[in-house]
Amino acid sequence: MTNFLKWWQTVKISWVKHTAYRLNFFLQIIGPSLVFFFVKYNLWTSIFEQSATKVIQGYTLDQMLSYHAWAFIISLVAQGHGSWNLSEDIRLGRISSYLIYPFNFWEFHTASFISFQGIQILIAGVTLLFFSYISIISSFSFEVLLTGFTFTLLVSIFWFLTQYFTGLLAFWLEETWILRVMLQIVSVFLSGAIIPLELYPEWFVKILNFTPFPYLSYYPIQIMMGRDVSLVSGVVIICSWIVGLIFINKFIWRRGLRLYTAAGM
Amino acid sequence: MSSDTVINVSQLCKKFVSFKKEPGIVGSLKSFFVRNPIEKIAVNNFELKIKKGEIIGLLGPNGAGKTTLMKMFTGIVVPTSGELSILGYQPWQRDKQFRKKIALVMGQKSQLWWDIPAMDSFTLLQKYYEIPEDKFNERISHMSEILEVKDLLHIHVRKLSLGERMKLELMASLLHDPDVIFLDEPTIGLDLVAQENIRNFIKEYHARTGCTIIITSHYMADVQALCERLVLIMGGKKGFDGPIHEFEKVLGNEKTLSFSFSTEQNPEAEIWKNYYPEWDEKNRSVELRVPEEELRDLSMKVLQNLPVTDFATEKLPIERVMKTLMENPELLKERSND
Repeated sequence: MTNFLKWWQTVKISWVKHTAYRLNFFLQIIGPSLVFFFVKYNLWTSIFEQSATKVIQGYTLDQMLSYHAWAFIISLVAQGHGSWNLSEDIRLGRISSYLIYPFNFWEFHTASFISFQGIQILIAGVTLLFFSYISIISSFSFEVLLTGFTFTLLVSIFWFLTQYFTGLLAFWLEETWILRVMLQIVSVFLSGAIIPLELYPEWFVKILNFTPFPYLSYYPIQIMMGRDVSLVSGVVIICSWIVGLIFINKFIWRRGLRLYTAAGM
Repeated sequence: MSSDTVINVSQLCKKFVSFKKEPGIVGSLKSFFVRNPIEKIAVNNFELKIKKGEIIGLLGPNGAGKTTLMKMFTGIVVPTSGELSILGYQPWQRDKQFRKKIALVMGQKSQLWWDIPAMDSFTLLQKYYEIPEDKFNERISHMSEILEVKDLLHIHVRKLSLGERMKLELMASLLHDPDVIFLDEPTIGLDLVAQENIRNFIKEYHARTGCTIIITSHYMADVQALCERLVLIMGGKKGFDGPIHEFEKVLGNEKTLSFSFSTEQNPEAEIWKNYYPEWDEKNRSVELRVPEEELRDLSMKVLQNLPVTDFATEKLPIERVMKTLMENPELLKERSND
């Protein structure tokens, strides 16, 4: 019970912190995804206009737009969180306070992630309603939505752990943001966030399926669009990555802490 | 280790390794391929025993290793070698029970969450430290009254002045009634009144709870007011460990005595000869170094025979000792060789 209270209070405080600078939050988190969505919207609309056929790799224009609308919504929940402050906290010695409190650093960040997800889910929900209202997203069943949402949450845990991992590298590296930008760019291409994976060579997608990338966007989109995907293998692969990352993060945290100098304390 | 020893340090060492980097882009590229490690020994074979209820002043110039010691004591950094035990725990293992028994206040770094009112941070800490509701309320009301911060509890921390924030930082770190408190420059950057407030608060808190306190500060007034025992660290090594009145005499038992006169005096006069006089430009005031046993006689003599308008003995003898030692660290070596 006392443990739950610690977590709950941290989630509440993080919520207040996340929403303290509302405009900043919007510009930093929602803004880029929104711009990205409109770029893709225009891009695909003009590709279809130029194209002789009405169908590209099984996608009509409407389906393609609906694909990207789902990509937008899913990215809010799955890839919204970035542990931006984590590496800076380490580099500037700000984690010292967390090392002293009887509540662990990872617990604090996980609670902060949970509250962040609360906000993101709310925003994703509103966006979904809006997209269905203007009919970019056509009908979906509650069951499909629930499955897709649960899968996306699982993916978001994976993404959180990946961000945490890159953040922890600050124990060794002076700057980790470049790593995160690289990861972001690679994942945008390989997750199907710009181009559906059907447009990639088949052998390439086969390899890709063992990496976590397709599960960041392509898989959840397929689930949401009611298409046939192997849910079990998706869950197994993402869960394996999650378990692997937990071990790796634990290991590098322990190693990193031995190097930690608490600069300026 | 006897039962009332709270901190036990033996042959403690901490070595930091950093890499040399030349300035500019070329330097960055170079250091990417060839890294020249620089080893720095921050703490070297340090020994210390502290008993329950003591207030220790940990002194030393910048870069002497004070903060590194504090970081090791609180489990923030891991010692390279040696023994360190606090309340029977090894700090670097960061046992949750250990963390519940200590507190750290850093004058240079805020521990309160910047974007929320202090009271929200306190509530969070209440949950972290599992403080019962009644105790929590009692401590908040008691401390906020003494520190006169009742009206500040619900204001965003980022909007407070440094002095106000420091008081709240102190409160935050004492809410869980810690057994050992580490104060790292708690009065840095504060005005004189705020410094004194903080000092008085710490004094009162210590008297009431009997906790053990380790304090570092560059303000000798802090040390003089709070500490009975001083530990001096220089170049990572212990230079002095003992009662404050002994530290004052570390360079001999001389006191500084100063006089101001209404008329110009003769600096060459016989009376000043043995006391290393330092005169001002107009020869109207002088500072003397006088052996303690001659202090009374000399003062009387000067007061009776010369037109004295003001006289004083130094207020903070440890400040002079500290300054002399910092400028001439070799004095300490000579002393320990004696």
